[in-house]
Amino acid sequence: MPEEEVLEESVLNPVKPEIQDPLLQALLAESAALDAAPTEQELPDLLPNPVEEVDCVVIGTGAGGAPLLARLAMAGLKVVALEAGPRRNPARDYATDEKAQSFLFWNDERLSAGQSPVAFGKNNSGTGVGGSTLHYTAYTPRAHANDLTLHRDFGQGVDWPFGIEELEPYYEELEHFLGVSGPTPYPWNPSRRKGYPLAPLPLNGAAQLMQRACAQLGIQTSPAANAALSARYYQEGIGWREACTNRGFCQAGCNRGAKASMDVTFLPLAESYGAEIRADAFVTEIERDEQGRVTGVVYEQYGQTVRQRCRHLFLCAGAVETPRLLMLNELALSSGHVGKNFMAHPGMQVWGTFPEDIRPYKGIPGGLISEDTHRPKNADFAGGYLLQSIGVMPVTFATQMVRQRKLWGQALRDYMRSYNHMAGINILGDCLPHAANFLELAEEKDARGLPKPRLHFTAQENEQRMNRHAEKLMRQIWEAAGARDIWAFERYAHVIGTARMGLSGDDAVVNPEGRAFDVPNLYICDNSVFPSALSVNPALTIMALSLRTADKFLASLR
Amino acid sequence: MPQYPAGTVRALLSTDLVTPATRAALEARLVSAAGYEPQFFDPATYALLEAVAARIFPQPDRETPIALTPAIDQRLLAGTADGWRYDAMPPDREAFRLGLGGINQAAQAQFQQVFTALDEARQDAVLEQLAAGNAAGENWQQLPQSRFFEDLLAELTEIYYAHPLAQEEIGYVGMADVPGWQRLGLNETEDREPTEVKL
Ligand SMILES: Cc1cc2nc3c(=O)[nH]c(=O)nc-3n(C[C@H](O)[C@H](O)[C@H](O)COP(=O)(O)OP(=O)(O)OC[C@H]3O[C@@H](n4cnc5c(N)ncnc54)[C@H](O)[C@@H]3O)c2cc1C
Ligand code: SF4
Repeated sequence: MPEEEVLEESVLNPVKPEIQDPLLQALLAESAALDAAPTEQELPDLLPNPVEEVDCVVIGTGAGGAPLLARLAMAGLKVVALEAGPRRNPARDYATDEKAQSFLFWNDERLSAGQSPVAFGKNNSGTGVGGSTLHYTAYTPRAHANDLTLHRDFGQGVDWPFGIEELEPYYEELEHFLGVSGPTPYPWNPSRRKGYPLAPLPLNGAAQLMQRACAQLGIQTSPAANAALSARYYQEGIGWREACTNRGFCQAGCNRGAKASMDVTFLPLAESYGAEIRADAFVTEIERDEQGRVTGVVYEQYGQTVRQRCRHLFLCAGAVETPRLLMLNELALSSGHVGKNFMAHPGMQVWGTFPEDIRPYKGIPGGLISEDTHRPKNADFAGGYLLQSIGVMPVTFATQMVRQRKLWGQALRDYMRSYNHMAGINILGDCLPHAANFLELAEEKDARGLPKPRLHFTAQENEQRMNRHAEKLMRQIWEAAGARDIWAFERYAHVIGTARMGLSGDDAVVNPEGRAFDVPNLYICDNSVFPSALSVNPALTIMALSLRTADKFLASLR
Repeated sequence: MPQYPAGTVRALLSTDLVTPATRAALEARLVSAAGYEPQFFDPATYALLEAVAARIFPQPDRETPIALTPAIDQRLLAGTADGWRYDAMPPDREAFRLGLGGINQAAQAQFQQVFTALDEARQDAVLEQLAAGNAAGENWQQLPQSRFFEDLLAELTEIYYAHPLAQEEIGYVGMADVPGWQRLGLNETEDREPTEVKL
């Protein structure tokens, strides 16, 4: 079989067989040049400007890093944020095109293991000045009081080390600062003291279908709360932000500044108080003194290696890169829980085809919500979930659909012709920590020569039961709405819990203030510190924790 | 099955309903990839990949089919990824080497010929086996075939539906968003949204 031999030999067509990655090649060439460099005495300082020590370095500018950066700067501290990704100008650089915006995602390869491998990249995490909030759907429900007490209520998982009253003032502050649009009163949270600052955004086709069907079935619905402006809004440190134009593109970047991503909210506020944000700065090392205190960090920027010294470090790199940095630097590992307790929200979707013209690309994607499933009466699982209508762009929809349905050939093109007639509902539900679900460093290296992260995830009994419950209900809703060709897509999104917060350094990495148990001047604040997954989307709670961590830290300085 | 009129997206791109960034991205994709010389794959393997892509996205209705394989060739050459990979899969370049080789092995086992020598019906039969996880060939001992098929299908799908003409085919005009959308509800469309044509 000659062709096969040709194939075996030459598919790779290697320029250089050992190392094919151009970036890696460049890096190796650089370090080879360094190896050939002069002897000890003449060795130039490889790390320019270690000069100044700042009060705080914040690694990462997403939902966890940005709010506290602003808080610390406003308190008069000298703060520097280091962000691995670029800084862009949304009005100029953000095309309304899914592929053209792939730079917003963390595209370094992660390895997905387990029975329910989690998709990363555009399913999961972002990069750039603003972090994952650059492309979040801006869906901002508050956690419920009993989201924090799963163990008390069900004997499973762990409880948060404090109650919802610690978060509520921050929720309120955030909703007003960000300009959240939402219904007042909010049907599932009677204890709110204040309403949403802006009226809800209009409902698109999918939301209207879900609303109609849920009314028939006796399920209460409401327009959702979204951190996108339904009217022009004035914001301190920034000025006027323009209203959302219903362009439906929130899962990539908003080119209007209507969506409350960190780059148009907390980061300009922080900069107006003197914070410095360094983009394209990838932190690789965290340095310590003999006592184990953090003294500074080392990062790569534009091919240079730079050291920044600091008195306090805030690690907010997201729930994959945070534990990865801790492991790479053998830092804060005494509890043995770094990388453990990895949770991912069940995000099952159910899709159907309808006679109506829906045009899923218009309107805020997460338009309609129901939290009637927060603690369903007949449930056989711990925790709960919420229901949400979905709008979707064609590439995202098509690629997820083929992974689930494996349609190809003419059948695929035919199915996609009905894109304008499709509507989806999804859930976002709790997840319990489990020993089988964790993050570790793989043997395989990335372009920087650092081990890639490998994440193991297998949906356990509780997640499976919740999925079954939710799938049945969502199918009922779409049947009532008149859909045909209904299908379900089991998926998991959001990385949670890999450096969790707790009362004891025996089973948690940080204390209730967000400080590492075993490193006195290291704080962690991002999705990794959540003790439980919550039955709501995480961003608003991450931001609330971020402000709380900053306030606790500032109080400790006094 | 809904059908939409031809020419709508090209017409939109020349209006100020589309931002310059969006127009630039879409127009770059409209440039024909005819005569693309593979830089990562050798010609025979590239031809095999093209043949597979042509069965996954048959385009008998197009004079010039939307080219799907140059983007894969360029991506593998650059060594970039989309953020993740199934741990059960080898690195992408190795996966393509084993997977495309495996498709030929499956074609040989079923029809005693390489994939590119088969007629369309037989090519489809080979791909059906692969999709079902039943393809023969020793390479599949090192590469989970259902995952390989899924990844390949997803990548081709992404490239296809990112193309303005494929977006036109399904009636998507979200790129024309400069004025925003006021008519969002069920059965509400605006003038710039093409309506279905009755065949
Ligand atoms: C498509 C999509 C839709 C979503 N929709 C919603 C939603 O509607 N509602 C909601 O609540 N949540 C949503 N989320 C989730 C939400 O965006 C995240 O949970 C949240 O932003 C996580 O915050 P974080 O601070 O943990 O991490 P991130 O926001 O990801 O920030 C981490 C930052 O750290 C940087 N970084 C990492 N490593 C380094 C390093 N070594 N050196 C320097 N910098 C580094 C990264 O580049 C990144 O900018 C969505 C996510 C996605 C992907
Ligand atoms: S729907 Fe609104 S908030 Fe979302 S990206 Fe579009 S303009 Fe921005």
